[in-house]
Amino acid sequence: MPEQPAAEIITITLDGEPIEVPKGEWIIKSAEDRGTYIPRFCYHPRMKPVGMCRMCLVEVETVRGRILTTACNTPADADMIVDTQSAVVQKAQEGILEFLLINHPLDCPVCDKGGECPLQDQTMAYGPGESRFVEEKRHFEKPIPLSDLVLMDRERCILCARCTRFSEEVSADPLIEFVGRGNYTQVITFPDQPFASYFSGNTVEICPVGALTAKPYRFKARPWDLESVESVSMVDASGASVSVETSQNEVVRINGIDNDATNHGWLSDKDRFIFQAIHSEERLATPLIRDAGGVLRSTTWGEALDLVAEQLGSVRGDEVAAIGGANNTNEEAFALSKFLRTVVVTPHIDAQVGDAVNPDFLAGVVPRGEISDVDRAHTILLWAGDLKEEFPTLYLRVRHAVSELGAKLVIVHPRRTGLDDVAAEKIGYRPGDGGEVLRRLASKDRKLATARALLTEGPVLAIVGLTGRADDPRLVEAVAAYARDLPGGKILPLARRGNIFGALDMGLAPTLLPGRVSVSSDLGRAELEAHWGPLPLGPGLDTDGILAELETGTLKALVLVGADPVRDGKNPTTARAALGAAEFVVSFDMFLNDSNQHAAVILPVDGFAETEGTITNIEGRVQKVNRVVPGPGQSRELWSVLDELSVRMGGQLGAGDAHAIAKEIAEVAPAYRSFNWDRFEWGPERDGVVMPDGEGEQPLQYIPVDPGLRPAGGRLTLHSGRVLFDGGTRVAHSPALAALVPDAEVHLHPRDASAMALIEGHQVEVIGEHHSLRLALRLDPTLAEGAAYVPANLDSTWVLGVSPAISIEPMLSAEDGD
Amino acid sequence: MSAAAVISDWSTANQERARRLLDAYPDKRSAVMPLLYLAFLEHGYVTESGMRQVAALVGITPAQVQSVASFYTMYKREPVGKYLLSVCTSISCFLMGADEVLAAIEEEADALEGTTSSDGIFSVEHVECVGACGGAPAVQVNYELIEGVTPEKGAALCSWLRDAAPSVVMTDEMQELFGSTRSFDWGIKEAEGAIAPVPAFGPYGSAATEKKS
Amino acid sequence: MTFPLILTERMTRHPRDSHLLDRYEATGGYEVLRQVLKTMTPEQVVNEVKAANVQGRGGAAFPAGIKWGFLAPAEPRYLVINGDESEPGTFKDRQILERDPHLLLEGVVISSFALGVNHAFIYIRGEYPKPARRVQQAVDAAYAKGYLGQNILGSGFDLDVTVHLGGGAYICGEETALLNSLEGLRGEPRLKPPFPAVAGLYAKPTIVNNVETIANIPWIVDNGGAAFAAIGDENSVGTRLFSLSGHLKKPGNVEVAMGLTWRELIYDIGGGIRDDRELKTWIPGGASAPWFVPALHLDVKVTKDDVAHAGSMLGSGAVIVMDDTTNVVAAAHRIVKFFAHESCGQCTPCREGCTWMENILWRILNGAGRPSDIGLLLDVSDNISPGLAWPPKMTTICPLGPSAVSPITSIMAHFRDEVEAMIAAAPSELANAEASNA
Ligand SMILES: Cc1cc2nc3c(=O)[nH]c(=O)nc-3n(C[C@H](O)[C@H](O)[C@H](O)COP(=O)(O)O)c2cc1C
Ligand code: SF4
Ligand code: FES
Repeated sequence: MPEQPAAEIITITLDGEPIEVPKGEWIIKSAEDRGTYIPRFCYHPRMKPVGMCRMCLVEVETVRGRILTTACNTPADADMIVDTQSAVVQKAQEGILEFLLINHPLDCPVCDKGGECPLQDQTMAYGPGESRFVEEKRHFEKPIPLSDLVLMDRERCILCARCTRFSEEVSADPLIEFVGRGNYTQVITFPDQPFASYFSGNTVEICPVGALTAKPYRFKARPWDLESVESVSMVDASGASVSVETSQNEVVRINGIDNDATNHGWLSDKDRFIFQAIHSEERLATPLIRDAGGVLRSTTWGEALDLVAEQLGSVRGDEVAAIGGANNTNEEAFALSKFLRTVVVTPHIDAQVGDAVNPDFLAGVVPRGEISDVDRAHTILLWAGDLKEEFPTLYLRVRHAVSELGAKLVIVHPRRTGLDDVAAEKIGYRPGDGGEVLRRLASKDRKLATARALLTEGPVLAIVGLTGRADDPRLVEAVAAYARDLPGGKILPLARRGNIFGALDMGLAPTLLPGRVSVSSDLGRAELEAHWGPLPLGPGLDTDGILAELETGTLKALVLVGADPVRDGKNPTTARAALGAAEFVVSFDMFLNDSNQHAAVILPVDGFAETEGTITNIEGRVQKVNRVVPGPGQSRELWSVLDELSVRMGGQLGAGDAHAIAKEIAEVAPAYRSFNWDRFEWGPERDGVVMPDGEGEQPLQYIPVDPGLRPAGGRLTLHSGRVLFDGGTRVAHSPALAALVPDAEVHLHPRDASAMALIEGHQVEVIGEHHSLRLALRLDPTLAEGAAYVPANLDSTWVLGVSPAISIEPMLSAEDGD
Repeated sequence: MSAAAVISDWSTANQERARRLLDAYPDKRSAVMPLLYLAFLEHGYVTESGMRQVAALVGITPAQVQSVASFYTMYKREPVGKYLLSVCTSISCFLMGADEVLAAIEEEADALEGTTSSDGIFSVEHVECVGACGGAPAVQVNYELIEGVTPEKGAALCSWLRDAAPSVVMTDEMQELFGSTRSFDWGIKEAEGAIAPVPAFGPYGSAATEKKS
Repeated sequence: MTFPLILTERMTRHPRDSHLLDRYEATGGYEVLRQVLKTMTPEQVVNEVKAANVQGRGGAAFPAGIKWGFLAPAEPRYLVINGDESEPGTFKDRQILERDPHLLLEGVVISSFALGVNHAFIYIRGEYPKPARRVQQAVDAAYAKGYLGQNILGSGFDLDVTVHLGGGAYICGEETALLNSLEGLRGEPRLKPPFPAVAGLYAKPTIVNNVETIANIPWIVDNGGAAFAAIGDENSVGTRLFSLSGHLKKPGNVEVAMGLTWRELIYDIGGGIRDDRELKTWIPGGASAPWFVPALHLDVKVTKDDVAHAGSMLGSGAVIVMDDTTNVVAAAHRIVKFFAHESCGQCTPCREGCTWMENILWRILNGAGRPSDIGLLLDVSDNISPGLAWPPKMTTICPLGPSAVSPITSIMAHFRDEVEAMIAAAPSELANAEASNA
């Protein structure tokens, strides 16, 4: 396959210069890698070449003499002689450009693309002078909406088919297509079927002209007054590289960056448009304290910090607990970890809320896979949430590995997933019976013979995580334990929140110290104490334990860092009770939420694009994120707030700035010994570095074991998978995305529904362990029998919390059947 | 959804044809074009719901079906008259006076090319070469061919269609009535023809042999 | 010279019913197939076709035997018969499909046997309903008699044949566009390589041959490749069905052995020019071919090479004759308009260039021509077909775009004075008006 350069290196002659290139590589790439840019419009390095625009014409010597051919789909072959400069080539390229321009409007001054438009640039470089075209240009109605996010100006379209190929070849939702023929061809959707793709923004980014535009960006800025800084998306933990583009201290656009190790340049629309939340009116801009009357009023940092210092100081260290830190940088997480362990002196720290998986597993599982292993895997075992909903850019990587590189995909999931169409084998099961499936996989069970056969051919990459919020977290370890014994078996553990893996690596877990050290490792603890002085005896309590002990009164104060246990926790009722019972609650956050509304003090902190530092993704890959805009009002970076608070509490954090913290991380965190910002700023390591590397080592080598899970009891079990556009604060505060949040329904397998005499479309009562809901019923044959699917994270459903067992009753009320 | 359910509004005969077409090829998608002809027959032209049905039958998106349908000239996506009059104006017919034939037909059918007459009987179009150059100028009625058409015969053809209003238009019959020079000897007369502006072909349900009653 | 009527004998002798199975069998039909299945190996059949040196009759004139030799071993393999016949001036395949469909079918079965094919497709243009009906009737009859289907004539060889109608698109005659169309896609030509013989229909090894090419196969296998190769001219062997049209006394299809002169074809066989007018120009091989003129080309031999030397091609065998009453700019405009209308639109030079050239010619025709238009037309042509050489170089994916250049280079080469005169006669204000709405 030309798109996968063969190992063999050959010599070709490019414009008279002999160059060494991989055999079969497209000439256009060979030339570009050596500084010869061959103009192009339709070619995109992450898609199959189609040779349509004809802009990349070059001359190649053949037995039949010199021929004109397109460099984008001509594979390099030994002793090939290529001329990219000849008179013939230049004439041809000028001709193509003229053809493209005769029907292209001259509205560059008002075009979003003006200033960053390949067509405009090529015209400057090769273009013919004044137009010889005296006829009427092609006319189309000006921009028409293809979806809520994307508009199409058909007059500007040069029919390079990048957008249509992306949606067919890469994201596999072909909703935009060529319509018509010849000179009347246009790109458009089916009349009543909008371009509703999770990935639609990518088409805007790769459109070589201003034909496709994104509503959130239209007319926001002109390219020349854009400042763009590389960073990493924190929407999920896959570590997609982005460029954050600002104009007058406002983030106006996020584009993808082609990171070989992670996202190949693609983004989900959530990664792309979530930035709108950064500048939301609702952002907290001043510290808030609750007055005697229980009303929140804004105040000064001084007053707020004095109060927090006094309150936290007034109780024993181990009477204080902290939840959160998974959406902060490694540097902030480290500062928080150090603050809690050395200033407050408490072991009760947990960055995971609600859908927690054993932190030792997440941080220390071996052998741990990398995302790029999907390209090398013979078989991919995917036993986790629906990647399309939870890890969209990883979803595209897996899809590419399967449909383009021939990897075999085995999916185990209770319901339909976005990748089922390319799966070699799909195993459905009732949530709670995962252990059973594992036993059958390991045994000789005939029904699973195909899957077993596929899994005995390595290398196998197992992508494992919770399939939904109600899963028993130990299932993940059981699957890993099974997978690591498969030929060439590697584990890629999934957990969702932006920097959850960094938070755990920095010790924001009851069982972990910074650098993937177990609190129960005497050696590790001793080494850290050499730097930090005496540490509280661990292990501490996890989020569930913390909430429970707050209610009993054993714990007295709570520190929330970007966390909302009421919404994200297992049981909203108990979480609320715990918060109510706490003597003192302080919250570091960007927004008010269901939990911190009851806090005594709320401190506004900076978030994505407002803080500089690093984050760590599912592979343990560390990448740099950058501060491109200031936070709103008096909002501050978390580490500096903690630094000042420490002083007030008579302690010493010694965090000069984020960079200084980074240096300390390298000193005290074993897995991060070779950690150094400069490495991530340029060169190949800009794509990030998987820790540990260099002189770093990982003390915690976690070998998962099968806990031997029993089948779940009960008639119905809950499958509460997540959806991409959720009820979370950031989506809620991004107008472009908030509009895309789906309505909640409860799904049942048709057989179960009829057994319970329930009718599709009718309202039913979904009765969970903590709470119940009214939802419309949808029949879903893709769902395992005995399971009820309820989207986990919508405004109307989160109150259900985590509730493996569930029951459903018909609603005998007036609205029946509405 | 089962194929049957998707096209439950189709005649049972066409549902059966659709099933056969879906099995006729190693890959279902190959049936898109034949199925579009069936949808055409069912709805009078290629409607949005027709394209949605074809999409569901072969398992692609309606946008993909629309993309295919719009590439070809014979899948009319707007209503067409009972008789589609296609006048070849390509080079050989042009040399033999096709433009005059087109003008005469527009006149008599009372529809300019590219339009449908107000009474909905005729749609007139000029088309590229229909492979009858030896018998130029050529005209097709619902794709049934007539060779050696003069302006007068063209006009006569229109009034005949309007008055006789044949439910099946047959190339051999019309050639006898309104044609002259042929590209080659046609042999025995055939009584099979088209029931709609869709090429008359058995497997697509668009051909019929006229019953003399 | 005398030669056998390889394609048209039956329909000439039995004009009424040459298309019916009874007649076909009564005149020796399917006997060759019987012999082949009984006595020959696939290799032997392929060797006869190679020995026959029959050139493809679809337009490219590529030797069929050599193409068959390229067929990759992978399974399954397919044979696709190209019956899209849409090149203006061409109506020869229509006669074979309509008048002797079993001749084609017997060729299909023999070829499939030779190529190890078990499913063949006959792609017929949508505007050919009657030929399609005739072929389908023949297919049904052949199944009923065991010439198609399982275990054909007890040989153990299986073959299914599917007749597929197009939807109205000339470009689907281009073999890879045809394959896309047959797969239910837009009829856009594919990038080559890979060639169909390696990765064709459903990416499987596929042979695409023209109707007439395959209709020759029974005779070739029956009489031996050598016998076929002995007919006609050594560089263009066999007979060919020419489609004569335009200002001739006797238009229509005619089967002749190649090697005669254009004078013979036009005056003896075509009966000469209507009303005994002067021959002005003719197109020797379909709308894509550069034009010939009496002063230079009447005595050129009708063979692939002789015509190529003279700067044109036999193409699809369509001979379009124009007498001295012809407005050559109008004729050229018609042909360019055709290609603009039929451009698939995927590649820039064809999509934009053809329409542009059509518009310029339209202006000239309508009195809005400008002196610069001649240079402009030639330069736009050059940007589609660099060097304006023959055979054409292309900036395009397929040869459709360059085909639109032929009429322009032709009128500029032979009738430039007429074009200039027409431009000179243009009321200048009109020309300027046109020019100013740039
Ligand atoms: C624009 C274009 C149109 C063509 N149209 C036809 C056609 O209508 N019929 C045909 O047999 N070949 C046509 N061809 C040639 C085919 O691509 C192919 O060469 C031929 O079908 C191979 O069969 P043969 O080798 O038996 O001639 C066309 C080629 C091009 C580039
Ligand atoms: S030359 Fe014309 S027909 Fe051929 S591929 Fe290009 S656009 Fe399509
Ligand atoms: S980049 Fe090669 S043809 Fe478009």
